Amino acid sequence: MTLKEKITTLCNAQGVSGDEFAVAEKAAELLAPYVDRVEVDKFGNVSGYKSCGKPGAKKLMLDAHIDEIGFLVTGITEEGFLRFMGIGVDQRMLPGGTLSVMTKTGNILGVVGALPPHLQAPGDNAKSLPIENLYVDVGMPVEEVRKKVRIGDYMTFTSQAFDLLGDQICGKSFDDRACFCCLLHALELLKDKELNVDLIIIGTTKEEIGGHGASYRTYCDRPDLAVAIDVCHARTDDNLPGDRVSDLGGGPVITVGTNSVPRYARKLMEIARAKNIPYQVSAAPSRTGTNAWSMQIIEEGCPTLVASLPLKYMHSPVEVIKMSDVENVGRLLAELAMDIDGRWSL
Amino acid sequence: MSDLNRVTEILKLLCEKDGVAGYEDEVREAIADIARPHADEMTVDALGNLLVFKKGRNTPKKPIALSAHMDEVGFMVSKITEGGMIKFVTVGSIDPRVMIGRKLKVGPQKVPGVISLKAIHLTTPAERKIAPPAGSLYIDIGATSRREAEKYAQIGDPCYFDSPYEEFGDGRIKSKAIDDRVGCAVMAALIEEELEYDTWFVFATNEEIGGSRGAKVAANRLGAPTFLTIEGTTAADMPGVPVHAQSTTQGLGCAVSIYDKTSVYSRSLIKSMTQKADEEGIKWQYRRSANGSTDAGAFHLAATGAVGMGIATPTRYIHCACNVAYKPDIGEVLKMARLFIKEADKNV
Repeated sequence: MTLKEKITTLCNAQGVSGDEFAVAEKAAELLAPYVDRVEVDKFGNVSGYKSCGKPGAKKLMLDAHIDEIGFLVTGITEEGFLRFMGIGVDQRMLPGGTLSVMTKTGNILGVVGALPPHLQAPGDNAKSLPIENLYVDVGMPVEEVRKKVRIGDYMTFTSQAFDLLGDQICGKSFDDRACFCCLLHALELLKDKELNVDLIIIGTTKEEIGGHGASYRTYCDRPDLAVAIDVCHARTDDNLPGDRVSDLGGGPVITVGTNSVPRYARKLMEIARAKNIPYQVSAAPSRTGTNAWSMQIIEEGCPTLVASLPLKYMHSPVEVIKMSDVENVGRLLAELAMDIDGRWSL
Repeated sequence: MSDLNRVTEILKLLCEKDGVAGYEDEVREAIADIARPHADEMTVDALGNLLVFKKGRNTPKKPIALSAHMDEVGFMVSKITEGGMIKFVTVGSIDPRVMIGRKLKVGPQKVPGVISLKAIHLTTPAERKIAPPAGSLYIDIGATSRREAEKYAQIGDPCYFDSPYEEFGDGRIKSKAIDDRVGCAVMAALIEEELEYDTWFVFATNEEIGGSRGAKVAANRLGAPTFLTIEGTTAADMPGVPVHAQSTTQGLGCAVSIYDKTSVYSRSLIKSMTQKADEEGIKWQYRRSANGSTDAGAFHLAATGAVGMGIATPTRYIHCACNVAYKPDIGEVLKMARLFIKEADKNV
């Protein structure tokens, strides 16, 4: 399976924060060939352990989250349409789109309704529709809907990943499953390489609602350094001058700040320069919006680092990434693991 | 195969084609392929309309014409930015709010592209209340320069919603172009049948851009004194819309128009046809809205005027990527159209 196929497989799978088990299963399959053992815990976190076989080796944890943004059914109208709430979604992405309703008996297609122009009042189309006024049409009479759909059922975008020009791909939940595939790429590069550090690769749950899965794994595995690999905003045509964005195709974005410890962040930049890996730098004085935020304060504390994959249109059904960035993030992490060889240590 | 199954089979085939006004070729060719073995005469006129004549068991006292439009709403490339992003105008009316987050097919090679917005994280709550106008949106095909984008999209090239035909729920169909491939599919299925009377079928171009210009020249040519238009019309039977404003309701059968922005339909024709429909157990409902317009506007004003009827499949969410129709309603529309042909001499 190529790297792109891995991304497609993992990102087309559906698992909103809180119920990632189906995704975890796929992630575990992809991870297994590269590690000594794989575990899926009760949260749905996937962990792969690759020991260097050296006594007293330090533990380097590489994290990407496998949950995705999505929706919860909050009600069924008397006409049989679903009311819903979003988890991290811009309500302006929804009208006229499709969602997959994850029912107890399988996924069904739903269409987010939109009143046609013929029936609108002048000026209506300049206002966005609040998510609480939107509804999902599953094309069934109300009695059928009540039998099939339960309050609390999850819904996800239906997008299947596809190619754009220039080695870019588009789809849903690249945030952050594409980054899990960066980890797989790093492991591919580390195959048969001698290491001086034990690797713990985690695909974590519930990042979009607070990084709970990563906290749990950090608590259990007690790494000496935890690197959160997440996506960051790549520049788009509608950015304002003040938007903090990076360049798609510009390589990994290395964060520096309290949540991405400068000592390690600078080391990572040094490695990138030495190995001719393009990189970009992002300053983050406080929280990074990644799992590093929750991992850093587990028990006595854990040094954390944030490395990011540039991505356009985050939290939309049409997120866009560039394959060269995926490869370069993977390369950088592989080089980091290989660099911990005694010249410096965690 | 039941006749409704045949209609939906044709509908699927036609919904998988792309054609905004002026670019109906694919759709026309697909319809022509279906009609050819059954047609007694086929013409493509100067505006791209496909006119199919099919002999019936009898010749009516006066000619009759059925009409549906082939074009769908979509987009046209209007400009390409230095950075390779594609600005667009719409072909037909589309609410900008249904464009965001959608996948498109762009240009003659139909390369994939998307319309989106910057991430929610970079917006303020106030910004999220405003729907961006179409002029501020752009299509991203992954090009990073104008030169690269121009290999795939020239100014004037059409773009389409990429939204496959899918059946879901309890007999529902979802596609970008049910308006009005459903009318085309009903007519194509009728062409395959033995008909009671000789009938002209007009597969018209250029409906969605206003003015029904395709239908106008077809009507001028045929001069049929009695006509029937078959549409996919608004069904606003959704939460929050009061019953009197729903226009049509799915499950209540074939929609029958009384009047709209360009036509007043024949009261006597509506009366005789609906009475007959009741006798035959065809489910029908009035279209309870005067908004919108159809090609009937062109047909009934052609030459010295004609009398006509407008029927339609109630269709939710027209003019976006996901039109939704209900199969049993399509079956009723088919029956009503067949009845119209059968009653040709009584309707004169």
